[in-house]
Amino acid sequence: MNVFSGHISDIKVSKSLSIVSVKLDEHNLLKTILLETPETASHLKKGNQITVLFKETEVIISTEENTLISIENKIKATIKNIEKGALLSKVILESSIGEIVALITSEILDELSLEKDQKVVAMIKVNEIMLSR
Amino acid sequence: MIKATIHKTLRSAAGKMTLAIELDVKKGQFVTLYGPSGAGKTSTLRIIAGLLSPDKGSIMVNDSIWFDKERKINRIPQQRKIGYVFQDYALFPHMTVRKNLEFALDKKQDKAIVDELISIVELEELQDRKPETLSGGQQQRVALARALVQKPEVLLLDEPLSALDIRMRSKLQDYILKVHEKYHLTTILVSHDIGEIIKMSDVVYKLQDGGVEKVGKPMTVFASNQLSGKFQFVGEVIDITKEDVIYIVTVLIGQNVVKVVAQEQEIVNLAIGDKVIVASKAFNPVLQKIEV
Repeated sequence: MNVFSGHISDIKVSKSLSIVSVKLDEHNLLKTILLETPETASHLKKGNQITVLFKETEVIISTEENTLISIENKIKATIKNIEKGALLSKVILESSIGEIVALITSEILDELSLEKDQKVVAMIKVNEIMLSR
Repeated sequence: MIKATIHKTLRSAAGKMTLAIELDVKKGQFVTLYGPSGAGKTSTLRIIAGLLSPDKGSIMVNDSIWFDKERKINRIPQQRKIGYVFQDYALFPHMTVRKNLEFALDKKQDKAIVDELISIVELEELQDRKPETLSGGQQQRVALARALVQKPEVLLLDEPLSALDIRMRSKLQDYILKVHEKYHLTTILVSHDIGEIIKMSDVVYKLQDGGVEKVGKPMTVFASNQLSGKFQFVGEVIDITKEDVIYIVTVLIGQNVVKVVAQEQEIVNLAIGDKVIVASKAFNPVLQKIEV
């Protein structure tokens, strides 16, 4: 699990859904969609400290920074290390919010010729991010 | 429904312990007492049942006083409308299932309740057998039915399922929930099994050293950091396998086995037998209708 701590900077609510923005540092904001609202979950409050979680398997790696793509969360990173397995590979990314681990197929790792020290963008869809108090 | 303030100094092998507990249970609620051995769970049940007298305090059930130290009121167990089920079934060995239930009848009571209970906990086939010829789960069903013969308002269950295997447990849990609903009982269960507590209870009291450490809905009490994921279950780790650069953790949730992909960092503190919360977001699972 990728786990980071941040502060809630914005909450948009519609009926029982919310999109919550969590500021992790100067440059990085992660948005998540929840089946919760400030009414049902009192900890959803601007300024509150919160932990964001997302699975390694949900991290998408792009080699291009300005891809037009329907993924809201993008974090600039550098490949720090790669552990290559038969089918799956673990890619450890260094970013300003800390280390992010991505799990991708070894096939796509080769296809994109990802390698150590390469600059990439890690992307995570809003529905893949969970919050924890 | 039940409002109790209980103070009692208990002496055990581990030394002296003071039980100081306040309970506020609403009618129809299913409440569980949870906590380590010696925290005061069974003593609390025994005090409510009238098997043990507090040093101080009072027990009010509906509008009647079961115990009040200052007013010197202490109803005997027979005057409290309770059903009590113990871990060991405590059935009369020389009596058939039916006789065990009939023996619990009040003198003036209509026998119809015995038939009704036999039917509810599905003992029809077993009613003429003696307890020793029954499995543990079957005996516990008899004990449950017997506890309900006098139509109690309060059902007290002291770890009634801890001696049973997991499949039997789950079935008995369903029977308990069924009678809890049917007879509009207010039930207090003592249990160690978090999965069981989450399945059955509206409220859990977490006891520690004779006091109440936490009260609340089971999910709130047991989930140490609350996750926003709406797809959450409590299960038990039954296997951890390394595969390629990942680990596959097999978790038993009720009677279902699920598998979760995990990273090393997530499994370092995890051992087989550990209880875990399996969580995902409501956005991820798919539904498929089962054609019957």
